[in-house]
Amino acid sequence: MPERLDASNLPALARGCALLGAGGGGDTELALLMALRAVEESGTVPLVPLGELPDDGLVMPCGSIGSPAVATERLWSGDEGLVLRHTVEAIRAERVCALMCFQAGGANGLLPVTWASRLGLPLVDADGMGRAFPKLQQAAMHLAGIAAGPLVLTDGRANTLVLRPADGDWAERLARGAARTLGGVCAGALYLMTVKEARAAVIEGSISHAVGLGEALGAPGQAEQRSTFGDVLGGEMLMLGKVVEVQRRADDGFVRGSATVAGTAEYEGRELRLELQNEFLLAIEDGVVRAAVPDVISVLASDTGDPVSTEQLAYGERVAVLALPAPEVWWSEPGLSVSGPRAFGYDLEPSEIRLEGSRGVR
Amino acid sequence: MASAELQLGFDVGGTHLDAVVMDRRGRLLAKAKLGVTGRLRDDLGAAVRAVGANGSIGPDEIARVMLCTHRRGALPAEQGLKRVGVLRIGSPLTHALPPLSAWPDELRSRVSAGEAVVRGGAEYDGRPAAALDEDDIVRFLGEVAADAESIAITSVFSPVAPEQELAAAELVRRELGPTMHVSLSHEIGSVGLLERENATVLNGALVGVVEGLAAALDDALEAEGVHAETFVTQNDGTLMLLQHARRFPVLTIGSGPASGMRGAAFLSGVEDGLVVDVGGSHTDVGVLVSGFPRETADRARIAGVRVALWMPDVRTLSFGGGSPLAEEAALARAHEALADRVDRAKAELQSPPLVAVGGADVLVPDDLPGVSEVIRPPDREVASAIGAAMAPVSAHAECICSSRPDRRLAALDDVRASACAQAVHAGADPAAVSVVQVQEVPLNYLAEPAIRIRAKAAGPAG
Repeated sequence: MPERLDASNLPALARGCALLGAGGGGDTELALLMALRAVEESGTVPLVPLGELPDDGLVMPCGSIGSPAVATERLWSGDEGLVLRHTVEAIRAERVCALMCFQAGGANGLLPVTWASRLGLPLVDADGMGRAFPKLQQAAMHLAGIAAGPLVLTDGRANTLVLRPADGDWAERLARGAARTLGGVCAGALYLMTVKEARAAVIEGSISHAVGLGEALGAPGQAEQRSTFGDVLGGEMLMLGKVVEVQRRADDGFVRGSATVAGTAEYEGRELRLELQNEFLLAIEDGVVRAAVPDVISVLASDTGDPVSTEQLAYGERVAVLALPAPEVWWSEPGLSVSGPRAFGYDLEPSEIRLEGSRGVR
Repeated sequence: MASAELQLGFDVGGTHLDAVVMDRRGRLLAKAKLGVTGRLRDDLGAAVRAVGANGSIGPDEIARVMLCTHRRGALPAEQGLKRVGVLRIGSPLTHALPPLSAWPDELRSRVSAGEAVVRGGAEYDGRPAAALDEDDIVRFLGEVAADAESIAITSVFSPVAPEQELAAAELVRRELGPTMHVSLSHEIGSVGLLERENATVLNGALVGVVEGLAAALDDALEAEGVHAETFVTQNDGTLMLLQHARRFPVLTIGSGPASGMRGAAFLSGVEDGLVVDVGGSHTDVGVLVSGFPRETADRARIAGVRVALWMPDVRTLSFGGGSPLAEEAALARAHEALADRVDRAKAELQSPPLVAVGGADVLVPDDLPGVSEVIRPPDREVASAIGAAMAPVSAHAECICSSRPDRRLAALDDVRASACAQAVHAGADPAAVSVVQVQEVPLNYLAEPAIRIRAKAAGPAG
């Protein structure tokens, strides 16, 4: 694992995070530009395993909450991390010892790097999801009984909110409503915990795992070994082909839809249907579920290897569809109840659809 | 004097200049293909004389002149780029990525006369986010006054709420005089601050290019006795008044491939299909949807800078009629590359027709896989000039609105009306303008879903 995050490995982290975004989590290109600028100006960021931090140290999981598309227009001030830290330290009456990504999938795997650099704090090599999920309570900390609140939100201007929700569901409802009022997207710190609590509550190794995935994908435009994507990345190649149908609709706050990929080359004559709700959630071939949430289903542009988001996916694109195993915690009974197919409205028996080779907390 | 009814179309390329004369019903009356000398004014004059050479077309019969350009690769170096004062309105937000982040150093130092981020901006629903800091703007304009030849203004969410950009433009006029060129981002790109700002700054830098083109065209037409309204093609193949284009050069920089595709559609009657345009050194492969080039905003880059511009989704191959393909193996490789491009482009179309145009369409074989037929229309060697001459005028408008059905319908009406008004402003006939395309993209992860609506209106040049 890298000891520091710097210009040499941040591009790989960005590609890995985009892959773990499973089609969601927001554009990593701008988040990468911000992180590169931050480490150049304010210094590189130590990446530390939990084991190297003191038991009673305070860990601050953080990231953005709300619309990533809005975040590409009202770009971050860069000082959000400072506001979050000061507010958290005032609430807890103790110093933050390290930041953590609450979600390593998408832009949220990079935004805390920018803030950590500006604050001169290390980043924990861990996250709460091991991928992108749409809801705040879909976090390993929630399963471990860590409270989401007090939850600090700031809009990068002078507005700061401290929410003390009754439970995880209320944390999601209150935070998403607040994000809308704060301009569609805001920065948040949540699931505050000590290092000792974190050891039993987070997905360790997520950041170095994302760097490794990004390195395996290669530099942008260089991933020519498209039929070996699956082998290289430790997942399973589900389909190589072209997108022949995309449908999207917006209801109750989330974009839902489906897409069909028609196989080409050695996949000629086969067809894979993808169900999406912000992220890709199911991959179905001939009525058989090939992969399902919580495992990570990612779509890559087959000529460049660039991950394709559910928003970008368009007719005619040549793609590779991959499934990567989710961290073990999501295949536990409580994990499945929060983030399994049924949590997304699909009536599927999880035991039949699991990929082999899960990694992470055991 | 005969009543002026005819249209004169030009395609200015790197090696050739094509000219056509057409009547309003689309009949081709004259065509010419000339080698270029590098003196644009002289070349245009020679082309006017060439299409009128048999005496049947008098200069006073030309009512409109339409021009497209085929430029390759990076920004034009020879004419020089203007120095641009870069003003962003959005503080206290946006500082994590200042203006011109990720520009190549050399381009940045050539173009930037100074950058500032001042307080202001709007929310995604159009409400003001912060009051505009006019004092700061005046201070910045004072700093760059000596160096800047152009000011580029980009405000947060200006495609939804342009008021602060307009107010800042007024300050530029007051402080630096009415002749200072001003580029406003809401007139140029869509949501995505950095990419829209990049496009707006490039627009300011390119002002001289269109000025040079306009001066050459005006001079040449004046000398040949042609008194016509002049238009240039935009990146999507539609027209805008040359007078209008002087303010929006970046919207015309990639117009050549789209004009070739519009010409191919016109000559062949194919509305949905593929177009292969073989020039002297390059071959463009694109897709026609309802007679217009399919567009993309995802991958657009100019000189290595990511820009928020809708450009034709054209893939270019680096061979053409002038390439050394005599060797059988080289020709086979070219055919293989072409077949691959064609197969990628056609995607959702089941066995579409393919229209081959340009001066060297012989390089396109008759038996491309997955294509129903290869159509080689007459006059295809001047397809781009014809595409320019027969193009409609168009413009865009966009907004972000709540997905509540009543709000959405009201917003759709507003955006459609705004697109039509913009098209008329750009030179379309008010009596014949209509909305030709509406796109709706939902925004992810919001508590109350929002929808981004973008409409395009077009009509014949009026």
